[in-house]
Amino acid sequence: MNLDRILGVGALLLAVPVGVASWGFGVGTSKSPGAGFWPLVIAVVMFGLGVSLILRPSPGLVKAGGSSRWGRSSLSLVTLAFYVVALEPLGYLATTALMLVVQFRWVEGRSWRSSLGIALLASLVSLVLFRVLLKVSLPTGVIPLPRGW
Amino acid sequence: MDTLGALVHGFSIAMTPGNLLAVLLGAFIGTVIGVLPGLGPTATLALLLPITIGMDMVSALIMMAGIYYGAMYGGSTTSILVNIPGEAASVVTCIDGYQMARKGRAGPALGMSAFGSFIGGTVSVVAVMLISPFLAETALKFGAPEMFALLFFAFTCIGGLTGKSRAQGLLMACIGLLLGVVGTDDIQGVDRFIFGQLYLQDGIGLVPLAMGVFGLGEILYNIEKREEQGAILETPKSLLPTREDWRRSAMPIARGSLLGFGIGVIPGGMPAVASLMSYAVERRVAKRPDEFGKGAIEGVAGPETANNAATAGGFVPLLTLGIPTNSVLALMLAAMMLHGVTPGPLLLLKWPDVFWGVIASMYIGNIMLIILNVPMIGLFVQLLRVPYGILSPLIIMFIMLGAYALKSSVGDLVATILFGLMGYLMKRFGIEPAPLILAFVLGPMLENNLSKALIMSHTGSPLFFFSRPISATLISLAILVLLYPLVRWGWRLVMGRGTAEA
Repeated sequence: MNLDRILGVGALLLAVPVGVASWGFGVGTSKSPGAGFWPLVIAVVMFGLGVSLILRPSPGLVKAGGSSRWGRSSLSLVTLAFYVVALEPLGYLATTALMLVVQFRWVEGRSWRSSLGIALLASLVSLVLFRVLLKVSLPTGVIPLPRGW
Repeated sequence: MDTLGALVHGFSIAMTPGNLLAVLLGAFIGTVIGVLPGLGPTATLALLLPITIGMDMVSALIMMAGIYYGAMYGGSTTSILVNIPGEAASVVTCIDGYQMARKGRAGPALGMSAFGSFIGGTVSVVAVMLISPFLAETALKFGAPEMFALLFFAFTCIGGLTGKSRAQGLLMACIGLLLGVVGTDDIQGVDRFIFGQLYLQDGIGLVPLAMGVFGLGEILYNIEKREEQGAILETPKSLLPTREDWRRSAMPIARGSLLGFGIGVIPGGMPAVASLMSYAVERRVAKRPDEFGKGAIEGVAGPETANNAATAGGFVPLLTLGIPTNSVLALMLAAMMLHGVTPGPLLLLKWPDVFWGVIASMYIGNIMLIILNVPMIGLFVQLLRVPYGILSPLIIMFIMLGAYALKSSVGDLVATILFGLMGYLMKRFGIEPAPLILAFVLGPMLENNLSKALIMSHTGSPLFFFSRPISATLISLAILVLLYPLVRWGWRLVMGRGTAEA
């Protein structure tokens, strides 16, 4: 299916609930617009664009770039999800180091030695730079840090 | 204060040690990210946005501007020596620049690209300096209807110029507008699209959005798409072009400066558009068009001049009207707003230090860039030898760190990842993300001015916009831009029928 048509269908599917919700916010009148007036305008324009994309799609906008490495970007996303969950309980240093090890070793296919080395060094340097020097509040977590850090 | 006096004042601000360091840092970081393929100025500015909050505002803007035009300088190096564009704006430089390098003329190609960038950038800064005060003075007379009309016109241009398909570009702009609506409405205090999440009450942050779409999305896409890098050609000993090179490049540089500035001023006029148009013009007017694609220096000089001229040109609408014409400038607008400065016609009156300091720093930055790029080209080429496999996890680390550091919020991390996924999908399907980010930034201004204008009208009629000359002109222009494809389609239909009948 043509990409423009897919986007068009997506636009229609999004425009309808946005329009309905906007009505709920209170559209007001054109002399005195309510909170729902502007989102309703957007929904109407989006609906029109959706119809236009379905009826008159641009040629040659069909395919996505197929790739054999999609598994790596998926793994990368999984490590990021882990980062979100683990950052506050495990702390910045441990979470960042773990995320980087996975990124270097499995996403980028580097050796164990360089993966561990760069991951530890990068997480430590960034901790010193941001927490110690720039005074950014980063969670401590399970690894005790020297006093003053 | 006259323009010259104001410029002198600007130099006195830009030449303080802190600001000189900011120019140098910006120019250096810009060149580095320009050289490295896969990391653009938008992603870099999004990454640095949280850090700039702690900086002095003028220094932060000077550094951000330096990164932007520095990236245009650096982008050509990768195009010429590796045949991979370091920046979107350097895509066309690959065509003739790489061919020149293969013939052993990498030096003149790199040199002409640097000199062209310098000339284009400087000419454009002069034009910014001369035009901006007049434009700002005119814009002071703008009320809500005029501002709405101007923003509406900008939107129609953005949709048309930044994507492969106009409707697709406008749809992305609508999604950006919708994201801008999320949160508690400023005027009536109604929560819009927050789905019961407290995190969304303050609205979606620009930093997670920009870092996700432009930073994380780009990295995820590059992890997947990465191609084997071709051999890096030897760095030449001398970059000086010959007298013949200068003779052939003089007019392309002149044309590139004017064309680039003109395109930069138009909403949606990205440097990449300027370089593509300059290449097309040079090829059309060339005495020897058959040389294009085989190493014509005009194909390097024109586009490289034009992309730098467009970079500076974009500062005119940003600083005088508060309208960013592309995603990099949208981030600069966000940086100004984070510091409590509202770009627009009042900027020159209320914050002259910001305006003139940034303008003066651009003169200094262009000189610094030519000093950095010509003798230190070998150093930047070495960067290309650093495997991307080392850089990408480190960039991801900085994205996550930056997203969290701003508000110590896990919600921002989640938002960054979700927008990263969105950016990745957009990249994978060839959808241009710039209209989305521009619309997100401009959306609240558009809503605000529309509401004010409708209240002002007393009747609520859209015809009110046609009762005032400036808004009538701008709305008419916007309608023309919107209807242009329809008119063209109808014209082709009629012409096609005419031909068939004949």
